[in-house]
Amino acid sequence: MMCFPLRPICRWTEVLLLVCCAIGSSAALAAKVALDPSNWGHPEGENCVSCHEKSSPGLTQQWHDSAHKVAGVNCLDCHQAEPAEPDAIEHEGQIIATIVSPKDCGRCHEQEYEEQEGSVHAEAYAIIKDRIPALAHNVTGSAMQAAGCDQCHGSVVKVRGDGTLDPATWPNSGIGRINPDGSKGSCSSCHGRHAFSKAQAREPSACVRCHSGPDSPDKEVFEASKHGMLFAAQRDQMNLHSDAWVAGKDYTAAPTCTTCHMGAAGKIPTTHDVGLRNAWNLNQPVSYQQYLVLLEDGSKLELPATEKPPKRGSEVEKADGSVAKVKAVISPDRRRSVMSLVCLECHAKGFTEGFMTQFDNVVELYNTKFGEPAEAIMAGLYERELLTPLPFDEPLEFIYWELWHDEGARARHGASMASPNHAWWEGMYLVGRNFYSRFLPEARAVAGDQAEAIIDPVLSSSGQHDWTDDPTQANPILGWMPTPSPRAGDLTTQSDASTETGAAVASAQEGVTDRDPEAAAAETSSEQGEPVSGVVPNDTETSRTSEEATQ
Amino acid sequence: MIKLEAPQFITRHVLFALVAGGVGGVIFMFFLLEFDHYSSSNAFCTTCHSMTYADDSYQASPHYNSPSGVRASCGDCHVSEGIIMATYDHAIGTKDLIKQMFGPDYDDPVVNLLHLPEAAFAARDWFRKRDSATCKRCHALDAIQGTRANTAAIHQEETAGKSCIDCHYNLVHRQVPSEQTFKREAWNAMIEEEFGLEPGTAAELLATE
Repeated sequence: MMCFPLRPICRWTEVLLLVCCAIGSSAALAAKVALDPSNWGHPEGENCVSCHEKSSPGLTQQWHDSAHKVAGVNCLDCHQAEPAEPDAIEHEGQIIATIVSPKDCGRCHEQEYEEQEGSVHAEAYAIIKDRIPALAHNVTGSAMQAAGCDQCHGSVVKVRGDGTLDPATWPNSGIGRINPDGSKGSCSSCHGRHAFSKAQAREPSACVRCHSGPDSPDKEVFEASKHGMLFAAQRDQMNLHSDAWVAGKDYTAAPTCTTCHMGAAGKIPTTHDVGLRNAWNLNQPVSYQQYLVLLEDGSKLELPATEKPPKRGSEVEKADGSVAKVKAVISPDRRRSVMSLVCLECHAKGFTEGFMTQFDNVVELYNTKFGEPAEAIMAGLYERELLTPLPFDEPLEFIYWELWHDEGARARHGASMASPNHAWWEGMYLVGRNFYSRFLPEARAVAGDQAEAIIDPVLSSSGQHDWTDDPTQANPILGWMPTPSPRAGDLTTQSDASTETGAAVASAQEGVTDRDPEAAAAETSSEQGEPVSGVVPNDTETSRTSEEATQ
Repeated sequence: MIKLEAPQFITRHVLFALVAGGVGGVIFMFFLLEFDHYSSSNAFCTTCHSMTYADDSYQASPHYNSPSGVRASCGDCHVSEGIIMATYDHAIGTKDLIKQMFGPDYDDPVVNLLHLPEAAFAARDWFRKRDSATCKRCHALDAIQGTRANTAAIHQEETAGKSCIDCHYNLVHRQVPSEQTFKREAWNAMIEEEFGLEPGTAAELLATE
């Protein structure tokens, strides 16, 4: 990357100037390596290559194909270590470390290191550290932490006294890995070693190892969106190998994950702070918008916008427990406006704003209709000690967990990235199904005679569950047909209303409620020749079957 | 016909001494051979309890259990070839015996492990000074094939100026870092964790010796 010409940067928009100056990123391209080339090209590196061409030809070939090789960066330039470093080992006469941490990469890639180290990615382990035992240790076993959680969130790499890396914590390329040198994260989480190809990291697949599956199905969401459709169809027009990769300029075929969350677009510079442009936190029981708090020590912190922003100069606690002073606070609106500027490379302003409104509305709907009520009901059950504080020892806790962590997250992510299928069928539909058919019945069972005190007020205060109060409202969606009982007034206004038809309706309804749907359907279709006026089921059924006949 | 006559100084006593000395010398040589042989055996080495820890890891290694049935004994690797050097090594080796009797309680697994790094560093130096001579009793560089694709090529092309021990340490006995990167605190912490000891116990044990 050190040999790429830096494209001159022109003017900035007001918003960008503030955000970008604050985070210190300034280039539309990957930052130019500022270090003098005399700092790399370790003479002993040739010996590594010579032997590793034989002992591990695959990885050596990847390096041969890399931009690192072209620039003269060899094995030792990255792997060399000082003997005092915790994970330093002697290897064929050289002191090296197996793990090349972001700090090591940052010797050359300073800007990327700074951005990454202050990103939500770098905190991926710290964020779930306290929660891990509940699922990974209690429900399953600690083997799952190494093979599951930690592979995405990162492990705390343990160097044993004999110099080996504890297999409970290594191999690991989790994005929030706590490295022996104290740095956080792993560049190779996204940048496959040892080729470190730009094109590879720009592919959506760079994110898929973690951003897929039930709780953060971003792979599936992207693939099912128009963006993913276009990417799949026009991948050869993505210019993925280009040095400069500015959306709207160097490529227009489709956006990838990188495009919107990290990439340069128009005048927006690229960033390795992947959460920078996210206004919402979508992976909580209840979503909230977030401030991005820039701290004096160069790191960053995300705080809920439901609270007052911290004052400049005040001290806040970071995810890892340390304390830092606030330098600046970026509002969710500003973060959103940066994201929207990416959209504007391909979409009109009204379209972009409209999309964001649709997205925000889904999040608000989830929050107010399901997230907040479910949270309040759970809190009520815990407060009254109807549930033990221990997570996952009661079925309701699994139900609640899946409601927000899987189904709810899926709905919100689906809406955020324009996959209707994930917003609805894989998302909010399942949220609704869970809420009404699993969560509420189980919560009522747990609450027992306290359900009236704990559950009902929550539901009625949300005002969005009133529809269940009128069970007589029929709808043809279930495929068989109980319709609303025609009210007396309706019947008399129909052309030849009579007491006979009223009786027919009553008998038809009795029939369907008592019998299985197929029998009911057979009955109604058998009456097709002699339609009973005023009986809606027959009309509907007739039109549906005739429609089917024409298909 | 030439008549051989013993010189004047060959008296009966001298003759007796020569014969006795000669026979004694031969016996002594046989004794040394047998002694070196015996004292190179696994059975002899593990008569000290402290050595059984080294034996445990050895028995789990391919040098004990090789697919071909070749088995290297303690002495095959740790005692030089030839009666003079073997005797010398054994003579020097008596310092281990003295330490065993008058030094720390190496029979204690914790104490033993605490001192393992120094033993490992000394053994590696020993191999290095002898250009890994005992390895070469069995292994010939130009005959190494290996099971992986390029093991032979690596041993032919990448070993200039290197001795076996330079690459192949931590081969038989418990893993110990190189002396350059060894960190005593980390080593102690590992032992404390392994034996469920309070942090700091290892350092105290070492200090009170």
